[in-house]
Amino acid sequence: MSEWLKQAIAHAEGVNDWFAPTRSAAVQALSAAKWPTRKTEAWKYTSLRPVERFKVKTDSISATTLVENIDGFDCIDLIFNNGQCDFDNKAILPAGLSIELLANADKSTQAHALAKFSSIKPNRHVFGLVNDALASNLVYIKVADGADISTPIRLTSLLAEHSQVHTRVFVEIGKQAKVAIFEHYQGNVESLNTGFVEYDLAEEARLEHYRFALQTGKAVSLGGSHFKLAEGADLNSTVVGFGSDLSRLDVDIIHAGERAFAKMNAFYLLNGKELFDLHATVEHTVANGTTEENVRIIAADHAKAVFNGRIHIHRDAQKTLAELNNRNLLMSNNAEINTKPELEIYADDVRCAHGATVAEIDKQAMYFLQSRGIPSEQAQVMLNFGFINELIDEMPNQALAEWLRPQMRARFAQMKVN
Amino acid sequence: MSNENAMLTIKNLHASVEEKNILKGLNLDIKPGEVHAIMGPNGSGKSTMGYVLSGRPGYEVEQGSAVLDGVDILALEPEERARAGLFLAFQYPVEIPGVSNLEFLKAAVDAQRAARGEDVITSSAFLKEAKEACKQVNLPVAFLKRGVNEGFSGGEKKRNEIMQMLLLKPKLCILDETDSGLDIDALQVVAQGVNSQRSPDRSFVIVTHYQRLLDYIKPDFVHVLSDGKIVKSGDASLALELEKQGYAWLQTGSTAEVDA
Repeated sequence: MSEWLKQAIAHAEGVNDWFAPTRSAAVQALSAAKWPTRKTEAWKYTSLRPVERFKVKTDSISATTLVENIDGFDCIDLIFNNGQCDFDNKAILPAGLSIELLANADKSTQAHALAKFSSIKPNRHVFGLVNDALASNLVYIKVADGADISTPIRLTSLLAEHSQVHTRVFVEIGKQAKVAIFEHYQGNVESLNTGFVEYDLAEEARLEHYRFALQTGKAVSLGGSHFKLAEGADLNSTVVGFGSDLSRLDVDIIHAGERAFAKMNAFYLLNGKELFDLHATVEHTVANGTTEENVRIIAADHAKAVFNGRIHIHRDAQKTLAELNNRNLLMSNNAEINTKPELEIYADDVRCAHGATVAEIDKQAMYFLQSRGIPSEQAQVMLNFGFINELIDEMPNQALAEWLRPQMRARFAQMKVN
Repeated sequence: MSNENAMLTIKNLHASVEEKNILKGLNLDIKPGEVHAIMGPNGSGKSTMGYVLSGRPGYEVEQGSAVLDGVDILALEPEERARAGLFLAFQYPVEIPGVSNLEFLKAAVDAQRAARGEDVITSSAFLKEAKEACKQVNLPVAFLKRGVNEGFSGGEKKRNEIMQMLLLKPKLCILDETDSGLDIDALQVVAQGVNSQRSPDRSFVIVTHYQRLLDYIKPDFVHVLSDGKIVKSGDASLALELEKQGYAWLQTGSTAEVDA
């Protein structure tokens, strides 16, 4: 066990609050589990040294960064400022939406939350367990049956230098309810955070989800978004990654009810020595579910990208439609993209496809652009960026897309090619 | 034959694709302001001519020359040929998702203006021009925001090609079967686009299978391409004759004279 984990466990053992049963179960699991090494399959390409080396130097100070205002994006803001969340704007919430800070909630709300938290996030995620043990300021968001929440909710995590923060949110979306949630992680200061969010979609609920994992530099980030879809539920998720000394994201999508639809577009753009690791697992446990997964990666300079995409189709999940498409672009000989699509199929009447390619520039498209007078270097840049931009175009929220696009463009322009 | 004031002079052009000879001694002389139609059976080399002139990778020139307004274009990169004034409207325009039509058009116009030493056009001025061009080819303005040809129907792709031509204002336009797959309304839109650009200093080469398009765009000359060279040339009436009789009568008289 690493020194870092020992300290984390010691810290967790000192917390005695409403969440204590989950915390102690997590501590037990962590104590029994092996600390991942490069021999652990789920961590084969991602070294945990930045975690092992990390030392908290300050306590409970505020982050110096501010929440960014996004043009045309009106939202309900839930801000974790260095882990502290003091949402008290209940008055502004639309009908059908409730946001509870569980530390201050009544006993029955806490009891309900205790049963819900960690019911969707699988226990195999080491840092998910760390989050169970250490999360403070847990938040419960509930969308009532049939409610159509037209204003998106933004969860922002701001970090102070040398701080370590564990945020945790549970989102319960009622039958036929509709909501959009934007998880926004950013900052480049030396810090460590685990941010886990669980989403429970009831029958025919619709969730538009964004997780922008835009931490860079020395910000160590380990997190997860985990979804459970009841019958006819609809998930449209966009994941964006920038990469840092260590950025790891685990996504789980569980088709628990039939005829659910899950779409996930993920793209990462890595430069310098950045690392971004996405492990996405889709569980089709019942029949007639659909999954569309698109993952696109561009890695330049000495960056390292990891993608593990597992689709598990259980024996009873007949008539499943599942597609996993992964396209990658290496812009430098020193960059590295480790990709592993895994289809595991136990039902016999399903339609599944997966593909992972290291993309070559489309020669026809190159010639077409050149034939209009565009110089080849510029045409190449347009096509490479287009590779990512195609997924930005598919984002349902236009304001978010318009805000993200120039940032991606700027990042792309700085990428080091050799 | 004098090339003094020619827009395009192709001399004894031989070219191959994947080691198969397609063009076998093509000669063509086009003066400014002229419209030439090229007809001919499948596989005669009509599309190859456009690809070779525009510099498509994989098309090898073995012999001959092509001079556009005084510049030997066969030695140039595709983008340099475009900046020299060549435009090929593709038979099968490619789809480029992720690159918006507007971004693409602006980049093309910017590159060509820069090559001519002209000032950069502002985004707002360009948008205005692009919207007008959209209207002229009867495409909804929303198509400017979509990926290049992404999800466009066949007819929309062809109209998008004509829109590029309107914005780029080339000296020589080659339309490669731009009429194929078009209904009569789209055909008229394309023809109007071309006719609006006819001018004493701009020339057109219209590659087509059918006389139909030539009802709307009146050619000055009609050439028949067969087995990689021009086997017969004439005025607009030749197209009507071909429509009636097909190409077979030309091939039987393989010594058909070339009256350029």
